[in-house]
Amino acid sequence: MGKRKIWQDVSISIFAFLLVCSLVFFTGTLAQAGPKVVKIGNIIPLSGPSASVGVQGKNVREMAVEEINNAGGIKSLGGAKLKMIYVDSKSDPTVGVTAAERLINTNKVHILTGCWNSAVTYPTTQVAERYGIPFIVPVSVRDTITERGFKYTFRVAAKDSWWTRDQILFLRDMEKEFNVKVKTLALVYENGDWGTGFAAGWKKLAKKYGYQVVLDEPYPSTASDLAPVVMKMKKANADVIMLVSNAADAILLTNTMVEFKVNAKAIIASGGGHADPKFLENCKKNADYIFDEVEWETDVGKPGAKETNEKFNKRYGYNLTGESVDAYASMYVIADALERAGSLDPKKLRDAFAATKLDSGPAMIISYDSIEFDKDGQNKNAGIVIVQIRELNGKMDRISVWPKGARRAGYTPVFPMPAR
Amino acid sequence: MDLILQATVNGILMGSIYGLTALGLTLIFGVIKVINFAHGSLLMVGMYTAYWLILLTGINPYLALIIVVPLLFFFGYYMQEIVIKPVFKAERDVREPITVIIVTTGVWYVLDNLSLILFGAEYRVVKTGLSGKTFLLGELIVSAPKFYGFVATIVTAVLLYLFLKKTRMGKAIIATSFDRDAASLMGINQYRIYNIAFGIGTATAGVAGCVLIPFYYVFPTVGVIFDIRCFIIVVLGGLGSIHGAVLGGIIIGVIESVFAQFMASTWTEGIIYAIFILILFIKPSGLFGARQDW
Repeated sequence: MGKRKIWQDVSISIFAFLLVCSLVFFTGTLAQAGPKVVKIGNIIPLSGPSASVGVQGKNVREMAVEEINNAGGIKSLGGAKLKMIYVDSKSDPTVGVTAAERLINTNKVHILTGCWNSAVTYPTTQVAERYGIPFIVPVSVRDTITERGFKYTFRVAAKDSWWTRDQILFLRDMEKEFNVKVKTLALVYENGDWGTGFAAGWKKLAKKYGYQVVLDEPYPSTASDLAPVVMKMKKANADVIMLVSNAADAILLTNTMVEFKVNAKAIIASGGGHADPKFLENCKKNADYIFDEVEWETDVGKPGAKETNEKFNKRYGYNLTGESVDAYASMYVIADALERAGSLDPKKLRDAFAATKLDSGPAMIISYDSIEFDKDGQNKNAGIVIVQIRELNGKMDRISVWPKGARRAGYTPVFPMPAR
Repeated sequence: MDLILQATVNGILMGSIYGLTALGLTLIFGVIKVINFAHGSLLMVGMYTAYWLILLTGINPYLALIIVVPLLFFFGYYMQEIVIKPVFKAERDVREPITVIIVTTGVWYVLDNLSLILFGAEYRVVKTGLSGKTFLLGELIVSAPKFYGFVATIVTAVLLYLFLKKTRMGKAIIATSFDRDAASLMGINQYRIYNIAFGIGTATAGVAGCVLIPFYYVFPTVGVIFDIRCFIIVVLGGLGSIHGAVLGGIIIGVIESVFAQFMASTWTEGIIYAIFILILFIKPSGLFGARQDW
């Protein structure tokens, strides 16, 4: 009896083993027959101080990838679908680096994107470079990200030196247009990589164009109280206040500035927290007259822009921002490169990215005409728009004002802004 | 000169609110002898409760206290009862229940991520009648919500003090904080006392939530911003000391506000920590800490 039982057990387990083997073999062949999958690892801040922009980046990526996949995926790869893997960077460089290592080694991703925070992108792209995995940077503006001679890093957004250059050019144009003289600047910026990078640019330009910097104030983005900073702004009494803020501090600064009646001829912000759709919702009238610098605005006159924005707004309940448009376009840059490479070999893929000249398709909702990378992987054509926040018909609106060619028809910017 | 005055006034007001956020932490530590790492999250819960209540009903933020405070009390009471007590019982024989600290860290992560799932990562601001209101005293600008926050802090601290000193329950709490075994022998149910202390601590986080909402924003990890400050304040003022927490908060607030007028505000953070370390060197029990044997 005992012996028979053992034999029974053994035969059952052998049978089961064979069954599992055949199943694995069978499903294996099935999977091979189906379309390939292109794995894209995305390292973005999904919690912590930059979470709201991170979530917007995730949403817009989802929408673009869904469009690409629904349109038949990557045809040269047999209709391969894009598969997104998201990792939360918590805006922390060390978390970003570990995430990149894990995505490359464990998830075997073919392409990486991210990381919004320049401080995270900088070391993370280095990991990708070491492994030779193409890294697409939709938005992280620190100059040096594409100044290290890396072969696998490609940035769609403009560099931050271009941003500061355009802010000052804008200011000079405004002075001329309205015949108002600006002498002094107050520089108030978050003390991270991004803010300090901007400040360095402003200081250089201020010297060049003869503006006097009367306040140079880096502040921690996670400060619980910004009233001390605002008091200094009030005391400095500069003609123009230049700001770089993340999401939460942009709200707190703007509201506190109104409370303390800080006056200036103009307040010029640098996107980021000021471009976050939640900013206007939270500050409302307090944000009136602020100039903000972005790469894109909903009133941009490009075909498809309005429709794409409406689709996005319907899905997620808020408008696209310059940064989301960069992320959106980046997905099409990826699809375009994959299509031309016809291979998932990282080297071929890299060469395809380097040869990008994307000037048609849904990505062309961007404010300029084509996406091309220079030898360091920087998008040569990335353009910048300056908008003014105004209350129009009882609603807060962002109106393109500069360059003059992009100015919304019939709108005259308010400069200097009225006293509070 | 008036700038310094302005900065000092702002520092005192904001600092008192820091003190308010730290009250619960100091109370819970004083009684249970456990550092509650979830304190910032409880503050976040308080802020969200106040936020939704004000947004949905349009109630005055200080009237909202009537609802938020009991709600948060029961939240804290049952959190201690259901989540922390079992661990406590398992660690009954240990003088400093380390596992409980780890549990509070777990609670912190669970609460923060729950709110991230429920409410999303975005920053939320609710406009109340008070938002952006200021009093003008000559050249001096005083933010109305911060001023009311100052008043609320003083009232909360005084009430808490009277409760602990004058009521039977308060005395039982203090007895337990002195020696939980002896208190148990005297017929005090220490676990019930813990529940109540945790409840009161959470309720003060609710007060802080209502006070902050008119001028601050709320998001799932907002607690972290105040958390570290709370720890510093509590150590500075003396662990377990109520007036110590309020004064500690004011000291931190004034340093932050006034020092920022002479240097980049990035520095003030560093200075606060330097002072913190200095206090630990010179007077480890804090400015107003009782000489306890722990």
